[in-house]
Amino acid sequence: MIIELTQAGSDLSLNPINRWVWVFPVVESIHICGFALLVGSIAILDLRLSDLVLTRQSTAQLANLLAPWIYLGLAAQFITGPYLFSSSPHDYLHNPSFRMKMMFLAAALLFHFTAVRGAARTPQPLAPAWRRFVAFVSMGLWVCVILGGLGIGFWSVND
Amino acid sequence: MSFHDAVQWLAETQVSTALREDPYPYPVLGTIHVLSIALFGGMIAMGNLRVLGYAMRDVPVSQVIDQFRPWKWTGFAMLAASGLLLTLSEPLDCYESIFFWISLVLLVLVGINAWIFHAGIYRRVADWDTAQIAPAPARRWAWISLTLWIALVFAGRLIAFA
Repeated sequence: MIIELTQAGSDLSLNPINRWVWVFPVVESIHICGFALLVGSIAILDLRLSDLVLTRQSTAQLANLLAPWIYLGLAAQFITGPYLFSSSPHDYLHNPSFRMKMMFLAAALLFHFTAVRGAARTPQPLAPAWRRFVAFVSMGLWVCVILGGLGIGFWSVND
Repeated sequence: MSFHDAVQWLAETQVSTALREDPYPYPVLGTIHVLSIALFGGMIAMGNLRVLGYAMRDVPVSQVIDQFRPWKWTGFAMLAASGLLLTLSEPLDCYESIFFWISLVLLVLVGINAWIFHAGIYRRVADWDTAQIAPAPARRWAWISLTLWIALVFAGRLIAFA
């Protein structure tokens, strides 16, 4: 098993994702479910910051209630994502859409754990306009991550 | 005219050809489709997880279900419209894909399941609104709902595969 996995690192054709055609779409389906959990939970928090849902709960309370699901979604993405990447690392690294996706992912995560969390948990209430602005930027960044992900398939030309 | 002939005819219409051959429709429709999965799927999942007593226990069930409803319908409308157009772009591939037909069956099942919830146990939600874990029939419903939706994501993704 370990020998096989080590070899899989050097010979891509031994990687299960390349040995059986159904592995990729199945792992990708898990990636989509994890994504719905991650971005869906963040969208709920962003909608709360914009005063559009669950206004009877404080933003801080909702941020705390959603945090475990955001972490679970992130865990699913950080397991399935790199595994999908391992199917052909070279192609992904040279894929402009993949690079864009990773850049926006870094920006979206950074923004989430600083600005979004900060806006939700700050002890001094923030002006509604500021909270909406933060929520809007957050959603915009995640939309760019999705766009990048979809774009990967359109740039599958090898170089 | 057989059903297959009708699908063939549909594939040759101007709309279908344009959706298939123009460079823009597919990425635009794909983006809308995936975006609505995040909005709609995330809220479905959170609603089910609340009923199961795993997520947002301190928020009454009816607040989660009722306040998410307009967003879920928005997401579902976007999901269905983009899905319909994606189907229209490749009618023959869909017709031949077993996973397309599985998706349709699952879609009908999630519809029936949602109706059972709203016509049944949810009408007496006032009795268990603040319960951290909902009564057994509601929990069963939530498990079925979660399973069907996850299966639908898999079936939908696999249409492009076989």
